[in-house]
Amino acid sequence: MSSPTTDYTLRAYYRQEFERLRGEFEANGSGEASVRNRTAVVDKLALQLWEQYAFTHASSGFALAALGGFGRRALFPYSDVDLLFLAENEALRGNMKEPVRSICQEMWDIGLRVSPTTRTLDDCARFDQDNVEFTISLLDCRFLTGDEALFKRLREKVLPQLVARESDLLVQRLAEVTRTRHLRFANTTFHLEPNLKDGPGGLRDSHVSQWLGAIAALDPGRKRPESLSLQHDSEGKELLDAIEFLSATRCYLHYRAKRDENVISWEAQDELAAKGIATKSGTISSAEWMRLYFRHARANHRNTNQLLEQVPGDRSSLYRSFLRWRSRVSNEEFSVVDGRVYLQQAGGARDPFVVLRLFTFMARHGVALSLETERRIKNASRALTDAMPQDARLWEHLRELLALPNAAEALRVMHSLNLLTRAIPEFETIDSLVLRDLYHRYTVDEHSFLAIEVLHRLKNNDVEWLQPFGELLSELERPELLFLALLLHDTGKGLAGTDHVHNSLQLAAAAVERMGLPQDDEQTVCFLIATHLEMSSTLRRRDIYDPETVRELAGKVGTTERLKMLTLLTLADIKSVNPEALTPWKAENLWRLYAGTANYFDRSVDEERFHAEVCTEQVERVAALLPKRRSQLLKFLDGLPQRYLMSHSPDQVILHFEMASQLRKEPVQLGVRRVSGQHELTVVTADRAGLFSTLAGILYGWGMDITKASAFSNRGGVIVDSFYFKDRFRTLELNPPERERFKKSVVEILMHEAPLDPLLESRLKADTKPAKLKVETKLRYDDESSPSSTLLEVITQDRPGLLYTISSTLANENCSIEVALIDTEGAVAHDVFYLTRDRMKLTREQQRATEWALTTELSDSLPSNW
Amino acid sequence: MTKLEAVIQPSKFEDVKDALLEIGVEGMTVIEVRGHGRQKGHTEFYRGREYTVDVLPKVKIEAVLPDRLVDSAIQAITNAARTGKIGDGKIFLSRIDDAIRIRNDERGETAL
Repeated sequence: MSSPTTDYTLRAYYRQEFERLRGEFEANGSGEASVRNRTAVVDKLALQLWEQYAFTHASSGFALAALGGFGRRALFPYSDVDLLFLAENEALRGNMKEPVRSICQEMWDIGLRVSPTTRTLDDCARFDQDNVEFTISLLDCRFLTGDEALFKRLREKVLPQLVARESDLLVQRLAEVTRTRHLRFANTTFHLEPNLKDGPGGLRDSHVSQWLGAIAALDPGRKRPESLSLQHDSEGKELLDAIEFLSATRCYLHYRAKRDENVISWEAQDELAAKGIATKSGTISSAEWMRLYFRHARANHRNTNQLLEQVPGDRSSLYRSFLRWRSRVSNEEFSVVDGRVYLQQAGGARDPFVVLRLFTFMARHGVALSLETERRIKNASRALTDAMPQDARLWEHLRELLALPNAAEALRVMHSLNLLTRAIPEFETIDSLVLRDLYHRYTVDEHSFLAIEVLHRLKNNDVEWLQPFGELLSELERPELLFLALLLHDTGKGLAGTDHVHNSLQLAAAAVERMGLPQDDEQTVCFLIATHLEMSSTLRRRDIYDPETVRELAGKVGTTERLKMLTLLTLADIKSVNPEALTPWKAENLWRLYAGTANYFDRSVDEERFHAEVCTEQVERVAALLPKRRSQLLKFLDGLPQRYLMSHSPDQVILHFEMASQLRKEPVQLGVRRVSGQHELTVVTADRAGLFSTLAGILYGWGMDITKASAFSNRGGVIVDSFYFKDRFRTLELNPPERERFKKSVVEILMHEAPLDPLLESRLKADTKPAKLKVETKLRYDDESSPSSTLLEVITQDRPGLLYTISSTLANENCSIEVALIDTEGAVAHDVFYLTRDRMKLTREQQRATEWALTTELSDSLPSNW
Repeated sequence: MTKLEAVIQPSKFEDVKDALLEIGVEGMTVIEVRGHGRQKGHTEFYRGREYTVDVLPKVKIEAVLPDRLVDSAIQAITNAARTGKIGDGKIFLSRIDDAIRIRNDERGETAL
């Protein structure tokens, strides 16, 4: 390095040195050397200028110090130069005004962006809550020239005293500033064009780690924070490597833009990769280079988060109580201390099932992984990788984890430890994948995690226009299938080709098959992935108020349950593209499309009946299972609503057909099976008056709580009624012989061989449990939707025997139930009946009479304490 | 110069945008809006809840055009957005005195 001499100006000297450093960086690519050397050059300039302008004014009582990156000897090519002009007292500060101005002016002329501050020792000793940045910058202060004894007083006395006195507040404010900064970047490292200085995992995070360490070192009463950055092993090296990577990249960005540029734009990514900046292997692809970046930034971000977790901030005692409460969730496998989870048995880290339970525990309780546990898992990574299940044993854990409120964060941690790609290799295609488009802001894997997070947050959100979607989520029967679909919906983006939906479907199909999902569930997940752009595309391209649009969408989706899942998937997919992507306008349109299609499902059953002469693809699929009995099968299906075919699998349809074939031998055919923690009773028999209400009464009499039901009939007068019910007293589960007695009871009552009334009377006496939520009863007729029936929609408080109350009242009013769609969501029953009287729609007078009868019965049937 | 404001059905936006690009309209501002003209609202029910749909979702496109492009832009929009039903939307035109490109102070049509 040359020295500034009188032969040429300081400006020329700086330019020459700047070019030399740039040349050296281009040759060796070392960020650390580059910033250290620029610091040395600026040091010399500062000393020279001090001698020129200040020396004669102040031999004592005044000092020059470096702050910020300059103080840390980490001056990036176009970073500001932070200077502290330290005066012993106010009088000296006044004297130094002119030299300070001259020095700063010269530095600007040289081409340095100077950020000067002039303070007395007393100023430095004061803690200003509104300018915490100044006190923090003092942590990096470094003596340059002037009165060294004065600087020592600052460094060795004033600063330690200040930190010891205000360390709690200082740490809290630093944590707060850091959290706010992270929030500006949606708390994620995985931006497509990341900011490597201020973004989560950027260089600022490593400064935060250093400052927290420095505060702990200066305050004897403060516990030194547990940090990866303070380790002198492979983990410490991981962070040092990250800092070097980020430093080299930042130097490149500065030289490239000729200014303090810190965003790694797509163009910059291509250049960095082509030039092999910060890589050990020279030229690599942009995608590979970005994976390296994210690996380093993720390590840095996790370290900072670990440190921030140890700072409760200026949060209230309520928060501390919350942390203590969280510690009470410890169990025999995991303990929680200060919101971080530890393994009770160190050896558990080698057992993949313990580790999967650990992630499930994190997803349930929202606790962070402790540093110790993270280290144990990393150390056991080989054993874990070899033994991680990918089959049904994985799904057993994953299905639970996915539906828990903090699933996204648990999955992120699992991914950062390379365990998610081990469990689901298909996910590797989108690991840290940057796909360039104008809308997406995050990498594909982060977009998928965010989508899962978006949905879980719906449950407790206070944004009014999102609330209907939160309710929809709580109504799902199998939310884990939706979350699995979200996790896998974009995996195809990592494969070659333009049709990512097709590619994702291929990958997801392989994953769900390996995980051994039941066939129905497998089909649901694949359906969601295959159609995940369907509603977005309908919103963009079609008139959502056009009945044809709704009819087409309903035809593609098939069932209300799938419609709910697809609506939520669409919402989450849009919202996780970028923070502004989901506007209230878009959400409202999505909701209207959902509501219109859901209404269509309820109101079009009559309209869309199967005719034997027009075979749909769905019918062909069923018929293919019984090629020799095709004509009998088509006769059975003739006149059944399409809804029946949509809501039953081909195997179920065949089973119902077989039951119908046996009706000559046994006039009542029954099937009882367990489905998703409930029971399903299917009855196939010849239609007769009051049949549906009798069945509802039998189930009530047995103490069963009906949650869903449907009643369909074919042209030949054969009905297929299905009831989903909860066995409230576990009668069928705990007493296997009761199952047969139950079936016998259904048959005997339907055949009029036994009366229903005694069964009902015994139950009416037993049910007195009060309701938790009051629901107002609403009845609404619709004469438009069906050509042959009057639709009656009943919204009312769910209660024991409700369906029996409604259906028996309808029977008493001589109404025939052509179709019934029964649903229960929490305390609210939502039932739709297609009614006829003497094979005609109900007249206005009949509607009024039926309404009065129902209103009276529904009011009278509420237990007195409800 | 003329400022063109078109309020159209959201489902027609992509077609309208493509049609405008094709005739040489290079820039436009797009706003998600709600509103109604003669196409008044109606009431919908979902699960017993009543929703009054009195303002419907629309997309508003704004573009300032050189006068020579105005007729073809109107034609492009009406062709692409017309279904013949109530609710297809409207186009409004107004005169613009001047335009200034902030980057380099260009004025008038060259700034468009």
